[in-house]
Amino acid sequence: MYQLDPKRLQDLRFTRIGGMAANVYFLGLTSMLTDVSSEMVTAILPIYFVFAMGLTPLQFGFIDGLSQGVAAVARLASGFAADRWRRHRDVAALGYGLSALCKIALLAAGGAWGLASAAIAFDRVGKGIRTSPRDSLISLSAAPERLGMAFGIHRALDTAGALLGPLVAFAILATLPQAFDLVLVTSFFVAIAGVAALLCFVRDVPTPATPAATRRLPAIAAAAGLLRDARLRTVTAVGFLLGLFTMADAFIFLLLQHKLSTKPAWFPLFYALTSLAYLALAIPAGAAGDRFGRKRMFLVGHGLLLLAGVDLLVVDANVYGALAALALLGAYYACTDGVLMALASAFVPAGVRASGLGIVATANGVARLFASLLFGALWQARGMTFALAVFSVGLGCALLVSIALLARTKKEPGSI
Amino acid sequence: MTSPRSMRPRALAFALVVVACLAGIAGYARHVVHQANAPAATGAPLAYAPLAAVPASSGRPFALFRSTALGDSYGHVTLARLDDPAGPRQFAPISCDRVHYAAGAGVCLVAERGALTVYRAILFDDRFAIRKKLDLAGPPSRARVSPDGSKAAFTVFINGHAYSNPGFTTRTSIVDATSGASLVDDLEAWPVVRDGAPFKAADFNFWGVTFAHDGPRFYATLGSGGKTWLVEGDLATHQMRVVAGDVECPSLSPDGKRIAFKRRETGNAGGRILWHVAVLDLASGKVTVLASETRSVDDQVEWNGDDEILYSMPLDSQQSAAETDVWAIAADGSKPSHLLLPFAFSPAVVR
Repeated sequence: MYQLDPKRLQDLRFTRIGGMAANVYFLGLTSMLTDVSSEMVTAILPIYFVFAMGLTPLQFGFIDGLSQGVAAVARLASGFAADRWRRHRDVAALGYGLSALCKIALLAAGGAWGLASAAIAFDRVGKGIRTSPRDSLISLSAAPERLGMAFGIHRALDTAGALLGPLVAFAILATLPQAFDLVLVTSFFVAIAGVAALLCFVRDVPTPATPAATRRLPAIAAAAGLLRDARLRTVTAVGFLLGLFTMADAFIFLLLQHKLSTKPAWFPLFYALTSLAYLALAIPAGAAGDRFGRKRMFLVGHGLLLLAGVDLLVVDANVYGALAALALLGAYYACTDGVLMALASAFVPAGVRASGLGIVATANGVARLFASLLFGALWQARGMTFALAVFSVGLGCALLVSIALLARTKKEPGSI
Repeated sequence: MTSPRSMRPRALAFALVVVACLAGIAGYARHVVHQANAPAATGAPLAYAPLAAVPASSGRPFALFRSTALGDSYGHVTLARLDDPAGPRQFAPISCDRVHYAAGAGVCLVAERGALTVYRAILFDDRFAIRKKLDLAGPPSRARVSPDGSKAAFTVFINGHAYSNPGFTTRTSIVDATSGASLVDDLEAWPVVRDGAPFKAADFNFWGVTFAHDGPRFYATLGSGGKTWLVEGDLATHQMRVVAGDVECPSLSPDGKRIAFKRRETGNAGGRILWHVAVLDLASGKVTVLASETRSVDDQVEWNGDDEILYSMPLDSQQSAAETDVWAIAADGSKPSHLLLPFAFSPAVVR
């Protein structure tokens, strides 16, 4: 029997490990397992699609574009739903569970690429669904002055999973060549373990009930109400603006590959080195944000990305230049990804936390998607150096505007 | 503060799930290993003997290919006589994901899977001695050696992390088959002419080179904006020109008069793309689609003489490409296809 003892349900929220709520670590564990699961599939997907299923590159690209938009909508909607029902964990579990099922669906799809693309699209939707309620749970579990640290711990665990995933996949393929199905089955079970960690250990944090009047409002109206807060509006706008000039790591890796064309074997290392830098810096960057201001950290992060862009523009076909760019890229993620959520958390009331974080994250995500399209178009039209130069100048200008915008908002609570 | 007791049932439940998941993985792994060790389901087991050197081209034509029969020979370069395709096979000491061979020169594309998967092109001679190992930028796709054994071409996929825009690109290179020296690092650097005018777009991709029997000419696929063209290139002038539209993965006939290729059919069959084998007569421009093969053919086909075309086909459309067969079809479409070499992939014919 499920025992509904509110005191019991709450205890884990108050359990602290190293001064941090256990919820944060267990959400990190769930994310880590889920990332092992999804990255082991991502690592083999190009090989699997092209060799095992006979897909063309073109179709592979098509699958990708379609699912991005759906995922953005799912992220917003799940935030509203999680707040409305006050069940962040269960909405998150729905997203994690959906992604787990997609691994099995991918196996069942066999050679039918329609089905396979549906499985991949739903995997993205699952990711969209879980993100807002999960980030909201992290922010609600941590003390306000340690939000950056909490997100840092979570993102570090998450990234560790992303690093482990490909290793697991290739270990399987090294032992049993062509056993793509075993990789998918393993991925499924690892994802199930992730969902189990969530359901067994993570507990919802009680939030004040939304007033009855507000609750009857349509979700969109509630969201609009959130944006009446000038500080959240500014954070959303800054996230959107900086996102517009963010070059996706995919492009940075492609650029590096063009520059180091004599050493193609380096290509898979780019992703690993970036993740390593992110993993190493996520917690220090989060803690530094708590200490010196998250706004500052977020801006510094984009400054590091700008440096990476300048490095790529100036330094020529040089291994050290490439290493610096990858380290800067990893540091950029560490200073921005979790920090943006920590920053926004301070301006969103607990009762609508998931909705608020969903809005901020989606604005940033949509801007970055647009940036990718723009970068691709510039690359095609005028070459990669031109695209990189435009984005570097754009990012520099966006940074200046963001500094001005953020300076006008009042200091966030819980930071010096 | 929590009491350790309240933690225990949850930890126990989690531990149970983890054990069940591990059991599931182990169970499926056992199933995979068991399947791999099971004898081939179709026909009598093939007899194998080691192969130390490629025989000189005498009266008996043969094919070199990648063996996909599960067992010791899996992945090895293997030889079968084309006048006795069911007869004993010989396997060479090298393994490839894709292989091609002509006139004493071979190219073997291989993925060395590991924590960081490395892709290589290995150039070898008629004794399977390695002449040169070249790093590749991505997973191998197509490989060809020129009929005189002097040049080798290969296409690999270069995958930008596919977050949104970059998607896939291909890279096609041509090297000296003996020294490994680069003749063309990336075909995309060459100018292309179409209908007498320069033709250029940033999304140009080239793949599937096939060499002319003499001189510096070759053919390849040009892809751009969802369309494909047949281009003819010249290693002497470093230029290419568009010959025809709607041609993928060309393969020049030994007499040099026809191009066999795969043609993508509009619409698709049950969610899958359908490619037919087709033959283009270079002089007249006439295309004959070999529609009697109703399955989708995704391969750069190989000519067996001037009258027959060989291509690989997965054993079972629902299965992975772990097991494939080589089928043959008459180049004029006069006869339906037939199974030529079971458990084979990437054939190269030596006559």
